[in-house]
Amino acid sequence: MTKSNDLARIITGCKGSDAKCFSQIVDMYASRCYGYFYRLTGNNDISDELLSELFVKLVEKIGSYKGGSFESWLFKIASNIFHDHLRSKHRRKKLVEVQITEFESGTIEPKQSDGDLTDKLQIQLGRLDKDTRELIMLRFYSQLSFKEIAQIRSEPIGTTLAKTHRAMKKLRQYMEG
Amino acid sequence: MEDRNQENLRDLFDKFFDAEQAERCIEDIQKAEQIFREHPAPEPDDMLIANIKAEIAMRLPAARAHRFRRIIYEVAGAAAAILIVAAVSLQLFKKDAPKNGDVVYASLIPTAIWESDDIAADDEDLAVYTAQIEQIEDEVMTLQSGEETGNGDSTIIELEMELIEINSDFWKD
Repeated sequence: MTKSNDLARIITGCKGSDAKCFSQIVDMYASRCYGYFYRLTGNNDISDELLSELFVKLVEKIGSYKGGSFESWLFKIASNIFHDHLRSKHRRKKLVEVQITEFESGTIEPKQSDGDLTDKLQIQLGRLDKDTRELIMLRFYSQLSFKEIAQIRSEPIGTTLAKTHRAMKKLRQYMEG
Repeated sequence: MEDRNQENLRDLFDKFFDAEQAERCIEDIQKAEQIFREHPAPEPDDMLIANIKAEIAMRLPAARAHRFRRIIYEVAGAAAAILIVAAVSLQLFKKDAPKNGDVVYASLIPTAIWESDDIAADDEDLAVYTAQIEQIEDEVMTLQSGEETGNGDSTIIELEMELIEINSDFWKD
């Protein structure tokens, strides 16, 4: 109760353009949102970029938040940002070109932060299709209920449950196999 | 990350699956979530967080101005909408109302009578009643001047009665 009251107070502050309140929001959600982006992209640089974009969007759109689950609202924006990123072919193409160049010039070194080979989970997540991967990330990082996830994805809750179960089961098999 | 808004997975899955399936689903989900906990994603850089906060602080005045502009636009939009609705309504009402040039003034009394000074001559009934009243007036005058002989009181009463009768006949019509 206190937590939600605190959040409501912080959001009110954000609506009043209080920098301190925005700073608190960043501290509260940066980690989870970063994890969400990182597990979807497997890349630290892109995750950095998407996270920055998310909070800039938050500043622009906070006036349109009319109550309800703040996390649901925030992760809806995060999901849209990720989809915009996917749609941006130019950005992807550029990234691939840079990676190829770096690889050919031998400057690339495996880093733990770059979808590295030591992160088994990231590798196995790469075997899932994009939609399934996003669903699992939404479930784990947003802390939203299935009902809220179903609303974000505009699908019946039964579909969300069935898809999540299939995805989690598959991921578990990949990780154990 | 255990919050889930106090969601009861058991109840939820029981709605869509039989008891055994629901049990398996919950187990699969919980184990997969355990895998995520065992393999945490990297945390964002402190530098990144500081940069984000700095960028937010930099954008706040612009965001404030943008919000103010938006409010102004909304108010202006609402005012414009009200004006348009009012203007359209006025046009519609104007259409329904008769034009100034088309107004026809009608009178219940014919113009000839309205303009005549001799009302008794213009209305037949009124002329009859006027004649009767004049006759009674003459008789009263005669009585008052003492020219009439006989029982004066009863004559006056008779005249009064006649006058009342004429008066009530007049209003009956």
